[in-house]
Amino acid sequence: MSEENKLSGQESLQIITEMIQKVKGTFNENGSSAILWGAVVAFCGLLSFAEIQWKFDVGFDIWGLILVACIPQLYIVFRERKKKLVKTYQQAATDNIWLVYGISIAALVLYQIIVPGVSDDLTAGEGVQLLQKNIQTGKIEDFHFYIPSGSSIYLIIYAFPTIATGLVCKFKPMIYGAIICYGLFIISLFSAFKYDLLLMGLAGIFNWLIPGLILRKRYLKGIAD
Amino acid sequence: MFNDLDPILHSQLRLAVMSLLIGVKEAEFTFIREKTNASAGNLSVQIQKLKDAGYIDVIKQFKDNYPQTICKITKQGVKAFEVYVVNLQSYLGKS
Repeated sequence: MSEENKLSGQESLQIITEMIQKVKGTFNENGSSAILWGAVVAFCGLLSFAEIQWKFDVGFDIWGLILVACIPQLYIVFRERKKKLVKTYQQAATDNIWLVYGISIAALVLYQIIVPGVSDDLTAGEGVQLLQKNIQTGKIEDFHFYIPSGSSIYLIIYAFPTIATGLVCKFKPMIYGAIICYGLFIISLFSAFKYDLLLMGLAGIFNWLIPGLILRKRYLKGIAD
Repeated sequence: MFNDLDPILHSQLRLAVMSLLIGVKEAEFTFIREKTNASAGNLSVQIQKLKDAGYIDVIKQFKDNYPQTICKITKQGVKAFEVYVVNLQSYLGKS
């Protein structure tokens, strides 16, 4: 396409079709973020489960690794933003989905940290003391608020950006991964905390790690073609 | 009745650029050049014509100390492209 020509109608149509196909073939999501988050959540979930199951302690809160993982995550985001030569409407939409996900997870962490303590304080402020009685020993202790099955809420939030991205990009591994994550959420409604940790580890694998590895394979194949 | 095809769009390279930009939010000059196989000089001229017509916005900035040109289609450009396609369909239907 080096010079201006008089075009026939058929030639115009051919150019439009060809260019639209070329844009459709542009695929620059390499799955790095999904692989990173999938690996970190899977590792934290499975190790936390193992700590309780086999009664050992790594000596620190393993879920702190999520915060540590934010550093390489930010690096990946900025590096990929620099490398991108084109931004499709699809990418703009998925970027926003993941931004909302980041905000939601941060909000959920705050909710989980703040709400039980504030509930205790508010109840005490109203002059109410909540007690719990162990019906086996008869022992009566203070009752403190907690978020029941908090892991279930995380599993719903984990599935949300994955299924939205999968549907927007028509990427089946993400859709199936998110459906599995919703299945794990349903199981978590009935399971004990220890098994919820196992479910979160599995969610990391099915919801992010596997779709991320498939994305990476597809990206590398796209570079090679 | 056959409507004349927009002369700004009815050119091989300008139509290719508009067809690319209609499907993306924004694209760098190098991406457009790669996809259209056009020379940098010719592409610059055609992009300027599309910009003058108000069909695309051109943002020039620096990235890592290198100049970067980002192109995005305007609302006017989208409308013109849609009209062009409708007229093209009508033209092809009659031929």
